[in-house]
Amino acid sequence: MPAGIRLCDLSELAEGPLGFDPFNEGQDSVLVILRDGNVYAYTDVCPHYGNTTLPWKKNAYLNNRGNRIVCAAHGALFTIENGLCVSGPCKGESLTPVPVIIENNTVWLVTSRAGENEL
Amino acid sequence: MNIIGPELLIFGVDDVAACKQFALDYGLTAADEHRYVALDGTGIEIYPADDADLPAALPTGSAIRKTVYGVAEQADLDAITAELSKDREVKTLADGSIEAVDDLGFVLGFMVTQRKTLELPAEAVNAPGAAPQRGLNITAVSKEDVGTPRTLSHVVYFVPDFPKAEAFYRDRLGFVTTDRFTHVGPFMRPAGTTDHHTLFFIQTPPHMQGIEHFTFHMGGPTDVMTAGTNMVNKGYQSFWGPGRHIFGSNWFWYFKSPFGCNMEFDADMDLHDDSWTARESMPGADNSQVFLLQYREKWAPMGPPPPGAGGKPPGAP
Repeated sequence: MPAGIRLCDLSELAEGPLGFDPFNEGQDSVLVILRDGNVYAYTDVCPHYGNTTLPWKKNAYLNNRGNRIVCAAHGALFTIENGLCVSGPCKGESLTPVPVIIENNTVWLVTSRAGENEL
Repeated sequence: MNIIGPELLIFGVDDVAACKQFALDYGLTAADEHRYVALDGTGIEIYPADDADLPAALPTGSAIRKTVYGVAEQADLDAITAELSKDREVKTLADGSIEAVDDLGFVLGFMVTQRKTLELPAEAVNAPGAAPQRGLNITAVSKEDVGTPRTLSHVVYFVPDFPKAEAFYRDRLGFVTTDRFTHVGPFMRPAGTTDHHTLFFIQTPPHMQGIEHFTFHMGGPTDVMTAGTNMVNKGYQSFWGPGRHIFGSNWFWYFKSPFGCNMEFDADMDLHDDSWTARESMPGADNSQVFLLQYREKWAPMGPPPPGAGGKPPGAP
């Protein structure tokens, strides 16, 4: 078993991105997106102010076309593949990637680097 | 120029269905396919971003496409037309309203107001030393209460040049600055209202220009709390609040929204006239709010007694 926290089954991401609260902070702090067979995970924090979450309701991380991550506070748009803000207040800044691995169709948050909350 | 305040905000949005549902859950009423209104008829209009009839979007893609101000009478429209025609095109639209572009590139409309005059009580408070505002045996709240937005209150823009914006609204449209944050921007009110502000500018880099938030006045702080709690219960995510601002004294609770900007509930704003001298302070948390609360799920100090508790304090006879 990897040093990490189980987030979800890979199949659960087929319906759309999901937010998680792996450190029991009372609100989602990690978002995970499946796109074209790849899994992308970022901290759920918009770089604009650096301390506010992205979605306007739970799991509403994408724009209507489903090709950009959106921050609902001020409409910032981020690429899914590398988290780069391409429009909006924090243009040119990026979401912070979160290390995840897929094993046995399960998405794990790798915590060994952070050294906390290991299973 | 007797500009009363914002009458309609017109949006071109990415997800029309989500925005319409959000507007309803926020407490607005659908007046027609596009328009969602508060109790007095002021409100917002929601269109798809690619609607060909909308004014062009800002280069930044902000969803705000037009800010329409209500004025007292036709003479005010004529005065605005005369003033703005000196250096820009002023269109008269089929509905009799006029349209022009401000010095920052925001599309403005002006119309003779159609808002209804509201006759509603403010939130009533009982306090020692003061005559009761709520009579004997009249209860203030129930679990089912959800506050309803009463009137469009104010709009806040990110702007690349706030002195230029302030000068335009002051010199060309008769707005007055009531307070300001140093290096950030002014709070402004038009001549036709005593509200502390209907407009606030925030200085930003040019790529951010657009709407930062908009808000409706509620009947009092309890309405802000019940409406906000209703939003939380429906799964919407708080951005800031609830709390109470210093400039304007208004209670606030901001929510992120599918409009690509925040949508606020506010209540109990200060009123000012021309004898007021604008204050100025540095921006930041200490000068933005008297207090800031944060929502948590309902909880009560109850539950089973601790182990060994016998219903009376230890050592009691």
